[in-house]
Amino acid sequence: MSGASIVDLKIGAELRSAPRPMTRERMRRYVDAQPTVAIDDGRIHTQPPTIHDDDAYAKKQGLPGIIADGMVSTNWIQGLLFDVFGRALARKGRLRTKYIAPIYEDQIVICVAKVTAKARTDSGETAYQFDVWCEDDTGKKLTVGEALVYAPAA
Amino acid sequence: MATGGYVCDLEVGDRIGPVEYTMSAFVVREYSHANELHHDFLQGIDDPLAPPTLIHLDKLRLYRHGCPKGTGPSARIHYEYDATIHGEVRVGDKLSVSGTVSERYERRGREYVVMEMELRRAADNALLIVYRDTSILAYAQKSEKK
Repeated sequence: MSGASIVDLKIGAELRSAPRPMTRERMRRYVDAQPTVAIDDGRIHTQPPTIHDDDAYAKKQGLPGIIADGMVSTNWIQGLLFDVFGRALARKGRLRTKYIAPIYEDQIVICVAKVTAKARTDSGETAYQFDVWCEDDTGKKLTVGEALVYAPAA
Repeated sequence: MATGGYVCDLEVGDRIGPVEYTMSAFVVREYSHANELHHDFLQGIDDPLAPPTLIHLDKLRLYRHGCPKGTGPSARIHYEYDATIHGEVRVGDKLSVSGTVSERYERRGREYVVMEMELRRAADNALLIVYRDTSILAYAQKSEKK
């Protein structure tokens, strides 16, 4: 074991995703994933109208229109970390996200993870602490949180 | 105890589950695809594992089990996801999930409910994920409701 991590990030380093518009289709895919996962019969399933795929229903609930399920932004942040840390991310660690502003149709979403601390563990991993967030193309934060990721030794 | 009815009626201390199921490759691939997680260890065929965020759909699994009447009069809005990962969830694993309503409170006219969950591997009871979920029971503030 060399003692080096598979990833070497400095405190303050930022990982940033490409900007993605939160399209109606992206919102709907998460809606459809829910009954599809629940039924788990190898086919795609849909569900009754939700605030994520039906404007009239969303307005009835007091919203100006459909909004994205918060888990879409959480998953996009997770994807950014998967890109760098691979399956190690699913073995040990923590991800916390809080949805501080609704994400509306076609709003641009950029995911960011910024290293706030790093430390070597007794088992030779490097533990990275991140501030994570999603922002729009004006820099307004939409989702905020933190992540703890363990990068195995190389 | 308020289980057996609507999600909006859940009370602090209500426990749902354990519910057992087996993680399938179809579920992992569909969920990963829906969330643009195009990684081989999720969507491939060689020893795939589940993205930890799938724990959120276990909350819905528990709601279906413990609250068969459905959500209630208003749509819930997810407010906070907080998952601590203790071990990989692999395709083919038989799993056991349970949850307890730990908090219910009102803030600025909206009602929040917190569910704390544990996902374990059924074969050896190994703890895989601890999840704390916070949801708002209705977007409209109480003062706005007619």
